[in-house]
Amino acid sequence: MHLIDIYIQEVTRRLPEKSRQDIALELRSTIEDMLPEDYTEKEVKVALENLGNPALLASGYADRPMHLIGPRYFDMYVTLLKMIIPIVATLALIVVITENVLTYNGEEAILATILSIMGHGIWGMISSSIQTFFWITIVFAILERTDTSKDKSPLTPNWKEWTPDELKSIPYIKKEKKISKAEVFGNLLWIAIFVTIYFNAVHLIGVYEKVQGKLQFIIPTFDQDVLQSYWFIVLVALVIEVMLVFHKFLASQWTHKVAIMNTVRHVVSTIVLIVIFNNNSLVNVEFYTYLEDLFHFTFELQSPVKLAVILICVVFAVIDVIQGFRKANIG
Amino acid sequence: MSKLISSLITELRRGTLTLAVLSQLRTPQYGYSLVQLLEKSGVSIDQSTLYPLLRRLEKQELVESSWDTTESRPRKYYVLSEYGIEILEQLKDEWEKTTNELQTLLKGDVENAPD
Repeated sequence: MHLIDIYIQEVTRRLPEKSRQDIALELRSTIEDMLPEDYTEKEVKVALENLGNPALLASGYADRPMHLIGPRYFDMYVTLLKMIIPIVATLALIVVITENVLTYNGEEAILATILSIMGHGIWGMISSSIQTFFWITIVFAILERTDTSKDKSPLTPNWKEWTPDELKSIPYIKKEKKISKAEVFGNLLWIAIFVTIYFNAVHLIGVYEKVQGKLQFIIPTFDQDVLQSYWFIVLVALVIEVMLVFHKFLASQWTHKVAIMNTVRHVVSTIVLIVIFNNNSLVNVEFYTYLEDLFHFTFELQSPVKLAVILICVVFAVIDVIQGFRKANIG
Repeated sequence: MSKLISSLITELRRGTLTLAVLSQLRTPQYGYSLVQLLEKSGVSIDQSTLYPLLRRLEKQELVESSWDTTESRPRKYYVLSEYGIEILEQLKDEWEKTTNELQTLLKGDVENAPD
């Protein structure tokens, strides 16, 4: 008797309140039907064994799904995760880097700072990914449980039944034309690094020397005030860069539009570079003196060096522009 | 290998279960009497599948249920509804069609087998 009560309790506690009583009653009469008049505990065990695991029996009664995310939503769920987690992780990394560089006071050892940024960055990426994963999963689990349609076929992006017409809205992307997500995120990361360096050049770029066993920052290369007086054109160039990155992300392949935007971006950033480099007071005087002491030459070389830097940048820009158009022209 | 075959057999039988149960419910039956009826015809059915199935059929309005409290212990009886009889006939036709088709296929399988 006792075992039967516990068995029924184990089944019904997994069921919705309203059906409990009826199922309990039916189960009890069924179990007693299976048993002889004066049954022993051994016979009860045999009967219960026939009915099987209470959890399994209960799952048969309950018409809730026994899975978190079923076949209808799984494909969309995975697609969304793959799309959103990299974005979130990259953003987290960018935030961590920016934060750390902005609060950098120039006193701590550079190596330790870099290590701490890496540590915090990795942790930020992991924790933000877990958060994203958690929330997307919750949303889909709720969708799975609230969707009353019996339809089991996977959802299409516009929430309708699949038809061959759907294929028309999907671009066919050749491997050589493809813009990978990694490239897009790389670009974004690069922009973030550039921004932080630009606004903190006075703490970051320059001469480092080992003083008392520690690597210390001695002389900045650039004059921060001069460098930052160009903030407006730098900002314009950055906005264009970011726009290009987003367009690349959406287009996900090289098109003429992407190639043209890429050209505009290179032209603008090269012009900005030339303008900034042409300012003679850009480079810190102390830095010059330091170099002169180090290499024993006078700064006649100044303009050839500038010219070389600008030329290299122009060459790389031209190569990238040509490659963009080449990829856009494939097939 | 034997695990694979048993899972395939379970899968094969799962679809026939509803038909087997419906076919025995022209007269009212309670859970355990249905088990015995099915077992008499050699159809063994997992009890943990059968009882939930009966409730599902009731929800789908294929069977009707009623509690009989006149006997020593109350029993829940299930019987086909009008709609259930209709569905049973359709399922029966479908089953006959399927078995015929398969029979043809399987006979062809033997004939086409390489010597």
